[in-house]
Amino acid sequence: MSTSGLQIDRLSVRAGSFQLREATLAVGRGRTLALLGPSGAGKTLLLEAIAGFRAARGGAVRLDGSDLGGLAPEQRRIGLVFQDYALFPHLSVLENVRFGLRARGMRDVAGADAALGHLGIAHLGRRRPATLSGGERQRVAVARALATSPRLLLLDEPLSAIDAPTRDELRDVLRRVLKELAVPAIYVTHDQAEALAIGDDLAVIMDGVVRQAGAASEVFARPADGDVARFLGMEVLHGGRCDASGQVGVCGQRLWVATAREPGAPVSLCYRPEDVELGLPLGPCPQGNAFDLRVALISPAGPCERVVLDGALPLTSLVMRRTRVELALAEGMTVRATLPPSAIHVVAAGDES
Amino acid sequence: MIARVPRALFYAAIWLLGGVLVAFIVLPLVRLTLATSPAGIVDAGTHADIRNAILLSLKDAAITAVLAALFGVPLAYLLARRAFPGRGLVQAIVDLPLAVPHTVVGIALLFVFSRRGWVGAPAEQVGISFFGSSWGIVAGMLFVSAPFMVGSVRVAIEAIDPRIEQAARSLGASPAYAFRRITLPLAARGIMTGLVLAYARSISEFGAIVVLAYYPMTAPVKVYDLYLQSGLNASAGAAVLLLIVTLSTFVVFRALASGQVRPLSLR
Repeated sequence: MSTSGLQIDRLSVRAGSFQLREATLAVGRGRTLALLGPSGAGKTLLLEAIAGFRAARGGAVRLDGSDLGGLAPEQRRIGLVFQDYALFPHLSVLENVRFGLRARGMRDVAGADAALGHLGIAHLGRRRPATLSGGERQRVAVARALATSPRLLLLDEPLSAIDAPTRDELRDVLRRVLKELAVPAIYVTHDQAEALAIGDDLAVIMDGVVRQAGAASEVFARPADGDVARFLGMEVLHGGRCDASGQVGVCGQRLWVATAREPGAPVSLCYRPEDVELGLPLGPCPQGNAFDLRVALISPAGPCERVVLDGALPLTSLVMRRTRVELALAEGMTVRATLPPSAIHVVAAGDES
Repeated sequence: MIARVPRALFYAAIWLLGGVLVAFIVLPLVRLTLATSPAGIVDAGTHADIRNAILLSLKDAAITAVLAALFGVPLAYLLARRAFPGRGLVQAIVDLPLAVPHTVVGIALLFVFSRRGWVGAPAEQVGISFFGSSWGIVAGMLFVSAPFMVGSVRVAIEAIDPRIEQAARSLGASPAYAFRRITLPLAARGIMTGLVLAYARSISEFGAIVVLAYYPMTAPVKVYDLYLQSGLNASAGAAVLLLIVTLSTFVVFRALASGQVRPLSLR
């Protein structure tokens, strides 16, 4: 096992009545772990425990092989970046970025200047935080955290307070800087698109429990359960049961799936709504996961349209605007929905809510 | 059915009621000023005992404000940032002087600070007497002004995002360094407000001081003494002189404290 980077082993933390239970995670050197979960899942609590602001009730946090237990926050060399920047409002940008070096009694401030350069904000040095835009403030906060060469960087929803156009640009800057400096990082977000864009690895946390962790592409393609799937933007059909022919019976229908489980096993079926193809109901309905369904609701979803279907099977489809025009989709009409077996991810129906 | 008050009547009532209170404050001070003449004020200033009383009040109020900050800022920090058992009780204790009649404060302080008191007796051994000295005056002033210092600093520290202090710690700042370089500067305005309020409350204190340290006379005690000895009109010159001195120092300190003028919150 590699001892480089961060290892969290069965870490338990309590805050009031809320508890983070036995979280186990690892972040390798130069890798970014996107920590994804709904509000109140315990993401910030986990960061506070890693940074040393909350005592653990059990478990261990190791950084580059050494146990952090008992170390004060200032002894851990872990950089923090917050959603609301937390810049020192009474200090200039340069003083903010040099603060960590000064606090450690270092005379050489080259690290601060380099960090400003990395974030492309060397020209802002004399400005006060109050005069900066949100994107500029967050660049300062990241530069400040990086100036002291931290062994780990914790970013708590760093882009959530920033306007959309700046957010994409800053996300790319963050990704580039994290790669260039090869500093391991945990990037907390509740936005799955952001998590995928920035994370090499992905962990999903809900109700104080790490539900799944692994390579981002793997977690995204094969969520462990229905809750995780839903949080990653998938639709879930509950109450399914496998049969001997390799099909799954759900909602009175039978669907082909690519990877079946043993007959009789209770399962949920997860699919991405963009994999549900819509067409006109011409001729008899063919075998193979095609159903003639009623359009219950059409609502815009960014550049696409979300089409909610009901009838024999409740499905949701995400189609391009063009498709809506071509099929003349309207609420109340019947369409033929096809869900390819390869697009269905089968999970054991378990304890998810 | 909802009774509808016409808009004009509503605002007229608001202005009228508020105005009554302002007039209530201003009127006596104006009448006091009219009771004397510039010559009377100058004359009061030529009396060494009146001058000394005013200077003593200014000096001891300033010392008290500094002492209130020295002990009050740490307590305000604890109340704002630390969850400890009995925090609510400590908060109530800090506010207690606001509710205790000040003559009662004087008598209570006398028990502790007199020559045979818990603090007074050992202090006497090292040559410090609280009875009839500036030590006693400052003790009375500190008791009644401490809540204003602790209150305004606590509010100022609570207004600082704790993540700013967390960021400082994560960057390598010890708790003391973060307190000195981050918390204190960001709470500076609250501390200045506390200084001004503690100073103003101290210089106007009469009840506790008159019991604990009638002598040496602070300005409020001197004015009261003149009033008893020589009557209303005779005390007016000294009273107006005291008013001018205290108001002008208050205005100056307040302007210094706020940078821009901000309403002072009395909590």
